[in-house]
Amino acid sequence: MVAPPVATTPSGNLQSSESLAKEQEDEVDEEVVNDMFGGKDHVSIIFMGHVDAGKSTMGGNILYLTGSVDKRTVEKYEREAKDAGRQGWYLSWVMDTNKEERNDGKTIEVGKAYFETDKRRYTILDAPGHKMYVSEMIGGASQADVGILVISARKGEYETGFEKGGQTREHALLAKTQGVNKIIVVVNKMDDPTVDWSEERYNECTTKLGLFLKGIGYNKDDIVYMPVSGYTGAGLKDRVDPKVCPWYSGPALLEYLDNMEHLNRKINGHFMLPISGKMKDMGTVVEGKIESGHIRKNGNLLLMPNKTSVEVLTIYNETEQECDVAYSGEQVRLRLKGVEEEDLQPGYVLTSPQFPVKTVTKFEAQIAIVELKSILSNGFSCVMHLHTAIEEVKFVELKHKLEKGTNRKSKKPPAFAKKGMKIIAVLEVNELICAETYNNYPQLGRFTLRDQGTTIAIGKITKLL
Amino acid sequence: MSSQETDAEKNIEIWKIKKLIKSLEMARGNGTSMISLVLPPKAQISLTQKMLTDEYGTASNIKSRVNRLSVLSAITSTQQKLKLYNSVPKNGLVVYCGDVITDEGKEKKLNIDFEPFKPINTSLYLCDNKFHVEALNELLENDDRFGFIIMDGNGALFGAVSGNTREVLHKFTVDLPKKHGRGGQSAVRFSRLREEKRHNYVRKVAEVAVQNFITADKVNVKGLILAGSADFKTELSKSDLFDNRLQAKIIKIVDISYGGENGFNQAIELSAETLANVKFVQEKKLLNQYFDEISQDTGKFCYGIEDTLKALDLGACETVIVYENLNTVRYTMKDIEGEEVVANVNPELPDKSWQLDKKTGTEMEIIKEESFLEWLAENYKNYGAELEFVTDRSSEGAQFCQGFGGIGAMLRYKVNFEQLADESDEDEYYDDDDDDFI
Repeated sequence: MVAPPVATTPSGNLQSSESLAKEQEDEVDEEVVNDMFGGKDHVSIIFMGHVDAGKSTMGGNILYLTGSVDKRTVEKYEREAKDAGRQGWYLSWVMDTNKEERNDGKTIEVGKAYFETDKRRYTILDAPGHKMYVSEMIGGASQADVGILVISARKGEYETGFEKGGQTREHALLAKTQGVNKIIVVVNKMDDPTVDWSEERYNECTTKLGLFLKGIGYNKDDIVYMPVSGYTGAGLKDRVDPKVCPWYSGPALLEYLDNMEHLNRKINGHFMLPISGKMKDMGTVVEGKIESGHIRKNGNLLLMPNKTSVEVLTIYNETEQECDVAYSGEQVRLRLKGVEEEDLQPGYVLTSPQFPVKTVTKFEAQIAIVELKSILSNGFSCVMHLHTAIEEVKFVELKHKLEKGTNRKSKKPPAFAKKGMKIIAVLEVNELICAETYNNYPQLGRFTLRDQGTTIAIGKITKLL
Repeated sequence: MSSQETDAEKNIEIWKIKKLIKSLEMARGNGTSMISLVLPPKAQISLTQKMLTDEYGTASNIKSRVNRLSVLSAITSTQQKLKLYNSVPKNGLVVYCGDVITDEGKEKKLNIDFEPFKPINTSLYLCDNKFHVEALNELLENDDRFGFIIMDGNGALFGAVSGNTREVLHKFTVDLPKKHGRGGQSAVRFSRLREEKRHNYVRKVAEVAVQNFITADKVNVKGLILAGSADFKTELSKSDLFDNRLQAKIIKIVDISYGGENGFNQAIELSAETLANVKFVQEKKLLNQYFDEISQDTGKFCYGIEDTLKALDLGACETVIVYENLNTVRYTMKDIEGEEVVANVNPELPDKSWQLDKKTGTEMEIIKEESFLEWLAENYKNYGAELEFVTDRSSEGAQFCQGFGGIGAMLRYKVNFEQLADESDEDEYYDDDDDDFI
């Protein structure tokens, strides 16, 4: 179906080598892919929002409603929760498996779960809402296709979540910079006595937020709003009862997700998988989301930045089942041969041997400063989140500042940069990282800078040095 | 106000000592002719004199003629120096005498005596081929030392902050199993394995903490600050595995969002109140104040050597901040008409145009060459300013040195520098059209 590029252009050499490599990497017919899994494609969704907005509960309830957790388990949780004096929390226990998480009722690590509907396969990423764990959330967001911003409509909770210091804003911004281009705003807790499915409250919550989301770059078409109740399950799988909520007639959450248009997957692109986690389980096992390309069992890959060549022994898909081939967009686990677990870490990237990802320690980037207490100048160091990698980074040189509105470069390098400014700067990291320019591979070219627990800037790589 | 002034003066005193120590450390001499003598506050000069006379007798038996002569001359000069004092000053006395070999291979006599800025508690007499300055170094570091344990799910870092230094003592990484996907039948087993790994990690941190913060059965820090994300730090503080002696020293537990170096910085920031009288934190505070002026665009700031000097001349400087290792040299030169010209430059830069006379283009004669910092330390009072030295060890300090040239000042009133006036020269278009975020 996809014809290999024919070398008609004069730059023959390059073309032919490329097409040769293309031949080696066997082409996959997209229709074949669509036929597999009964034609269901895979979508990763991330739940985000302020603390106690009900992200985990909603995730748990969806799993329950779609039958991915059996009833017995949920009932067991309900009993246990009751014994622990945490009655309302049993649904979130489906997602929060750790003792600490259950005790405090707050998610610490990104939880992952899988469910299937009649039309699609989904991976839920349940991000922690607490300020302390935003760094975790970024890792999760980098693997998601669609963001679900959970807003609590309960009186007072919406306000704290959205005000300065609330995570609603920060999460939305981070999701955008991590490449989540589609966002569904679910206004949760509509069943709460202080709200009681009031249209007024719903509109109040959505209008203000809409302005903000537009401000950070979401198109109107990419934002969808819907009222739900994560606890009762209203509006998740089935539409809200019109008797309760006569003013909303749109689709329910799952209904909407199922009918969303197909995402563009680069199935025949060069294989690329940023590693988000690793473990030792009869060999080295890594997990992550395939950003582009596909991989077959026993295929050879290159682990960057170490340039270790590895062989894929087994591929596990989201349901922990072995499969022979995995495609772009899927969350997979790969068992690898040729590398020890100690020699790799999250942030490394598995790529095809023909087209390895680039590795650098220094790069030029365009940076927009969103939140900064005072100023930054050469020598400023902070933490950078780039795909799944977390590295300490230092500003080596501020090159230009960009004029507001017109984005014109200044001739003189600025001595410092402050909140609201856009600059072009050279950044340096201590260790080799896998990166690409934003224009070539958006997923590997955008990053977030954080310091002292706040997101200070977002940026994209313009040049690798 | 007065205490503040003495503080600033003390800092300058410290800086001078530091410079001195550095030059003394570099000095090398022949044989064992370099004498280091340190007397604590209540020592008696006469006893020391007697000891020196004895030493003189012993030294006259040295076989090598060259060595003997230089040792003898060094002892004599030490005695001469001591004669200047009736009794030991209240902070003690430090004397260094000896023949130093200079870069050109010539010998140069060096005799230094001074009273340290705070009581020195060491008694030392040594002849060696170098000067012994350890006692002085100790004086500088004698500030309270605070320990830090930064602990998160990826690893632990042990650090200490004392005086104006921040050091990482030890760090290691761990691999804790992450939250496992809904594990099915083995869920219980996984959670047990996880618990076990976490427990081992806490144990390891507790053990390494003992190695780092307990020397000779004593806690070597004044206070201990635990930092980390999630629950590890509280778990550690309550754990039986954590040494009691260390447990008693915990003064603060702070929440940070990252581990490693960045977490360390954040932990220092968050415990700033507790560490208020540590130099390192004061330095950060000062620089933050300075950065605030800049970010608020009050105009009451300047940076770079030229602007700062201009501001000094205007008498506008409230506080001058300089990097303690600024290697700018102040050259005083004579131009063709015999007028004195002053230039402050970094001699390592390849550009030597400052040596040329602007009018004639000929090279000027250098009549005096001194460190800019020394000049500043001598003269800052004439300009009604205060002087503060900073290091580049804190992240603010690093920015100050690299981004602002290591010198700047907070001003009393707004000064319009010419350089700052022309901001209108932005006319190069930025032709990147994919501006899809922000």
